[in-house]
Amino acid sequence: MNTTTAPTVTPRRRRRLELNASLVVGVVLTIGFLVIAIVSFFWLPSNPNIPNIKNRMLPPGTVDHWLGTDGLGRDIIAQLMVGARTSILVGAGGATISLILGTIAGLVAAAYGKIADETISRGADIMLSIPGMVTALVLAATMGSGALTTIFALTAFFTPSFTRVIRSAAMSVLQEDFITSAKLYGRGKLFILARHVIPNIAGVMIVQFTLYFAAGILTEAGLSYLGVGVTRPSISWGMMLNEAQQTVGISSPLAMWPGLAIVIVVLGLNLLGDGLRDVLDPKLKRRS
Amino acid sequence: MAIYALRKLAFFLGAVFVASLAIFILIRAAGGNVAAIVLGKDATAEAINALAHAYGLDQPLPVQYFNWITNMLQGDLGQSFRTKESVADLVTARLSVSVPLALSGLLLGLIIAIPVGTYAARNVGKPSGAVLALISQIGIAVPVFWAGILLSVLFGVKLGWLPTGGWVDWRESPIGAIRSLVLPVLSLGLIMAAVLIRYVRSAVLDVMNQDYVRTARAVGMTRTQALLSVGLRNAALPIVTIVGLQIAELIGGTVIIEMVFSLPGLSRMILANVAAREVIVVQSTVMLIIIFVIFVNFVVDLLYGVLDPRVRNAA
Repeated sequence: MNTTTAPTVTPRRRRRLELNASLVVGVVLTIGFLVIAIVSFFWLPSNPNIPNIKNRMLPPGTVDHWLGTDGLGRDIIAQLMVGARTSILVGAGGATISLILGTIAGLVAAAYGKIADETISRGADIMLSIPGMVTALVLAATMGSGALTTIFALTAFFTPSFTRVIRSAAMSVLQEDFITSAKLYGRGKLFILARHVIPNIAGVMIVQFTLYFAAGILTEAGLSYLGVGVTRPSISWGMMLNEAQQTVGISSPLAMWPGLAIVIVVLGLNLLGDGLRDVLDPKLKRRS
Repeated sequence: MAIYALRKLAFFLGAVFVASLAIFILIRAAGGNVAAIVLGKDATAEAINALAHAYGLDQPLPVQYFNWITNMLQGDLGQSFRTKESVADLVTARLSVSVPLALSGLLLGLIIAIPVGTYAARNVGKPSGAVLALISQIGIAVPVFWAGILLSVLFGVKLGWLPTGGWVDWRESPIGAIRSLVLPVLSLGLIMAAVLIRYVRSAVLDVMNQDYVRTARAVGMTRTQALLSVGLRNAALPIVTIVGLQIAELIGGTVIIEMVFSLPGLSRMILANVAAREVIVVQSTVMLIIIFVIFVNFVVDLLYGVLDPRVRNAA
């Protein structure tokens, strides 16, 4: 392959440019996604849940239904917009609760001695070895499906990973000299954790939150596709794909839009997470 | 090594115990009266009590848990309330679909990810490396079921080369069975590859900066020779670990892919039984899957200890 490099641009420079590009694209896609979800609360092209048989299966490009309608005549754009809302509710909800629980568990493991550390770390290892999708099926069988069950399932699979990451980040901060001086100054453990450790691992927390937000959206879509995630009147992109496959077959454009929406949003969040990692967490730069 | 193996064995047994407790509590404590759920709204109180008594569901929960575990240890996984089929039969009938699907998916993922990830690591900072990183990023964002739908639109509907779903039994026609597995395996393998490429790339990047690679270069090997002779062997360790961790993901992907292509595998059996509220079937099948995953991780840990003395001595 022809890889003539301009003499002034060293590989290192190139790498930086590429990373910033990932941040910029990530920010743009994510903001677009958030804006669409917010707009859906104030304005929708039409009600996404009310069937309108005389408008059924309109092709993309129809006036008033720019992406067409589904087998029951419901507008696709309206459904996609409400689906964005569900993705945020479930994805961000699961990621936020796991972040809070994982941070508490990770900090306790890092700062409160070997027994606490062993218990929490081994517990996290066990939870990580349980397949999340299977757990979600069990939860759906016992609690019934719905957005809350899905958030609960996401929390169950994400918390152990958060715990591990927060624990190792906190441990490396706790070995720094300024922690020793804070201890010598007589500061208590809680004060040190709140004042010194959390601000220093905030970058890691933000990055992990972004990546698990994305993973949450993917998992939610999968569960709703299986019919054990959210149910109408809520709308999920995964559910739209399932309905398209059941009613009109996979080769219809109806099976394309929700998939594209998922790819764009998840890609945006992952790029944002990677871009943020390089800005906020320079130590990890080489590995990303 | 013996101490290391014993520690890992203790962890394996502990993990199985905790997982069984968690599954039991989740299903029984959250599920309410099992017999009433199975029989439906119109059942009389006598019928519910009779069923509960026949299956020991009227005993205290700790006793039920103990019975479940001791029966499992003796190979009795329980049976379906409605069809009276034993869970063991239900599960083994589905393995001829799920096991080839999951294993070939993982294998295809590795076959793609190891060379591509290594190439991407060697070309960090070059356009080709950046393009591969981007492709892998996009692949990670594609939900496995959408990949399945796209592939079956292309190869099934448009080109008509392969079935878009359904299953032909191995005994009926091995070629038919393989044909029904091609697209599911491809979907699963491509998505696994996208995730694995990132791990392989970062494992190889780490190894490339190690002293022993520099030494190998100093004695006159080319970059490729150094990477192949000492680098890849060392990068294999983290890759083995990741594969262990990805087993849970792999099973999740298999569950969804079986639905996309309507394959009569394990996960469709679980889903159908979830819908039918067959508590015992779901509980025992899920437990089997979890034991399998924990066991794979146990084997991976042992292998790791065999391959790398630093690991077993540190533990």
